[in-house]
Amino acid sequence: MSQGFSEDNDMSRGSENTDDEPPKWLSFRSLLVFSMFLRVFLIVYGEWQDANMEVRYTDVDYIVFSDAASLMASGESPYKRTTYRYSPLLALLLTPNSFFHRSFGKFLFSASDLLVGWFIHTILKERKVPEKICTYSVMVWLFNPFTFTIGTRGNCEPIVCAMVLWIIISLMRGNLSQAALWYGLVVHFRVYPIIYALPIILVLDSQVFRSGQKPPLEDWNTGQAKTPTSNTEKKTFLFSLFTALKSLFSRERIMFALVSGGVFLACNAVSFYFYGHEFLHEALLYHLTRTDPRHNFSIYFYHIYLHYERQFSALEKLISFLPQFTVQFALVSCFWQDLVFCIFLQTVAFVAFNKVITAQYFVWFYCLLPLILPWSRMKLKWEGLLCIILWIGAQTHWLLWGYMLEFKGLNVFLQLWVAGLLFLAANTFVLVKIIQRHRFSPLFRRYESSPPKHVKKLH
Amino acid sequence: MATQLRRSLLTLIFICWAISSTSSDQVGTSYGDSDQIRSLCISDRFIMESYFTTTHTSLDDSEFRNFLLHQQCSSDKIPSEHDPNIVPATSLIQHRNVTGEGSHRNLLTSIKLLPLYLEFQLQELVILERLPLGVFADPFELQSIQQRRVFSDVSVFGDTNLELPSFRSNRSVVEIHVEVSPRDYENGEISLKLPLHARYQPLDDSGYSRVEFGEPDLFLCSSHVQNHQHEQRRCLVLSIGRSKTETRSVFWDIPAGIRGHTEYVSALTFAAAVLSAISILVASVLSSKVESCKNSKQS
Repeated sequence: MSQGFSEDNDMSRGSENTDDEPPKWLSFRSLLVFSMFLRVFLIVYGEWQDANMEVRYTDVDYIVFSDAASLMASGESPYKRTTYRYSPLLALLLTPNSFFHRSFGKFLFSASDLLVGWFIHTILKERKVPEKICTYSVMVWLFNPFTFTIGTRGNCEPIVCAMVLWIIISLMRGNLSQAALWYGLVVHFRVYPIIYALPIILVLDSQVFRSGQKPPLEDWNTGQAKTPTSNTEKKTFLFSLFTALKSLFSRERIMFALVSGGVFLACNAVSFYFYGHEFLHEALLYHLTRTDPRHNFSIYFYHIYLHYERQFSALEKLISFLPQFTVQFALVSCFWQDLVFCIFLQTVAFVAFNKVITAQYFVWFYCLLPLILPWSRMKLKWEGLLCIILWIGAQTHWLLWGYMLEFKGLNVFLQLWVAGLLFLAANTFVLVKIIQRHRFSPLFRRYESSPPKHVKKLH
Repeated sequence: MATQLRRSLLTLIFICWAISSTSSDQVGTSYGDSDQIRSLCISDRFIMESYFTTTHTSLDDSEFRNFLLHQQCSSDKIPSEHDPNIVPATSLIQHRNVTGEGSHRNLLTSIKLLPLYLEFQLQELVILERLPLGVFADPFELQSIQQRRVFSDVSVFGDTNLELPSFRSNRSVVEIHVEVSPRDYENGEISLKLPLHARYQPLDDSGYSRVEFGEPDLFLCSSHVQNHQHEQRRCLVLSIGRSKTETRSVFWDIPAGIRGHTEYVSALTFAAAVLSAISILVASVLSSKVESCKNSKQS
């Protein structure tokens, strides 16, 4: 967590305080170069470990991707590989594994991981966050042990994260068609970003997006100065939501929906053309209907296992979906204007309330965390540390019981389920704390009756 | 003449040895009790491949025995043209056990081959592990074992879905090929370690579900010639395993969900989800109201 970035630093608007600049060795470029070497080292080390130790460094999923890519390269369906449940695009991206080197995919994922760092820096700079805070925020991603191992072990989530951040950048620059194209693609690639549809549509306000003009951004300094210098909507959130819904069918929104929907359908149509129902079932329907009775972080796993001998009724499925739906609706309703914060909260909540939770899902919100830290009033000591300790502690507690079940063969299903409840409690606590300590800052400013002078025209 | 004398002498030695053997782990059988299936002629690389390419989609022990009966070689291909009372070769399962802890264990089997008449064209020991419902072998894990030359060939047939619980899955069979040389007969045991993984078990009030292992089927086959796909391979039946071992049972107790937990686990799960959702909802609404008040005051 941040050290209370918004309160502990004298960040008045237009300040040229040299304390804003990090030391040269800690510049963004040097961080990026160091991160790159770290990832290359880990990939090379991973190859050594795989060849010489019984426990492999490489993720099992990477072997699945590589096998699927190999099948595709030889003209067969990637879905012949059991447990390959991704878009054919992923297998296509990894076909060089077959004829170039088996580690090509790891380099691709790690490059995406570095790109996420670059995009985080770009987004924060465009919102005029001081360089020092930008650097620390980027470090939260680049030096998070979870994130630098996930790409080097061969997990594809960094590609999805990079796409999501690029969509945010495109929106910030007013490139709606590009944002829509990538949005359609990322939903095809990984279904979960569909939850961002509503807040994205809501921010596409014609009072913000004008043809040929970059939308005015609410920058970081605005709230710091504690004087109302922006045209932020000051009405209640319900009124804002009502206003947004009133003009739901604006030109920008319709265009975004059509382009993203069209890209999504086109990708699915092409995939279906080549791979038929196998693609539909494995890459799409499986994720929409997945219920796994095997132990995972979700509070639902034991409930699903105890009922697995009989099917759930439609009513039971609907009832179990209600908490997820309620939370998503509440978060969007309250925070859609602060788009980045909204999608961060949505992602955390989506993962926490999902029927299946695996550790790789955490990357989905790890990439958004650095983007909200500069607006957090939470101090590392001790509130931030408390949140970190509670969240990691709850995970560790679950892992302990998971170890007892899986590696010692003890019947600890009940204890494991209780650990899942505690993990949900920790997620809820952290989420509530983040909400309470967040300095609400809409991503875009609305135009006055005439556009402000400082808005740049796109060339 | 000298050859016949040697064979008779070896037969006598074998009979004496069989009578005097006192090993408590000896659980093997000779093919004599296995419905008189003596040899097979198959055209596929794997015996089980032939089984699953016919109408069979799941493993059934009695259907499998019928299948073997139909794969018998025609009389002119019986390996031994000599006295049918002479057993060409046989095997003994010396030891069988499940080792390890937790959901990932190893099935250890030690096999002793006893040559009386060695058909030198039969160079491959084929072991069919018909796994009980409740456990599975990971085909990709076995592939990497094969790449380390532990087995000359290995494949999994039947239900290879690794994710389904046992009550939604079918049985699977692991066919392992091990090259044998005359030295294996002299040196004694051939040891096999097959990694297995537990599926989620049906609910049980005791909290554990017992999975019992039978005996493997053992064959001695000619080596598969890569390019000669239609050439039949000859396999001598050494042993058709029983569904349960004769002397000491080999079993694995796997944790299972307890039916008695169902009601309160479901109720508390839903309650926890609702409580968390309400907490987040209240925090969101309050936070939005606070921001609205702040903005109103500033204006």
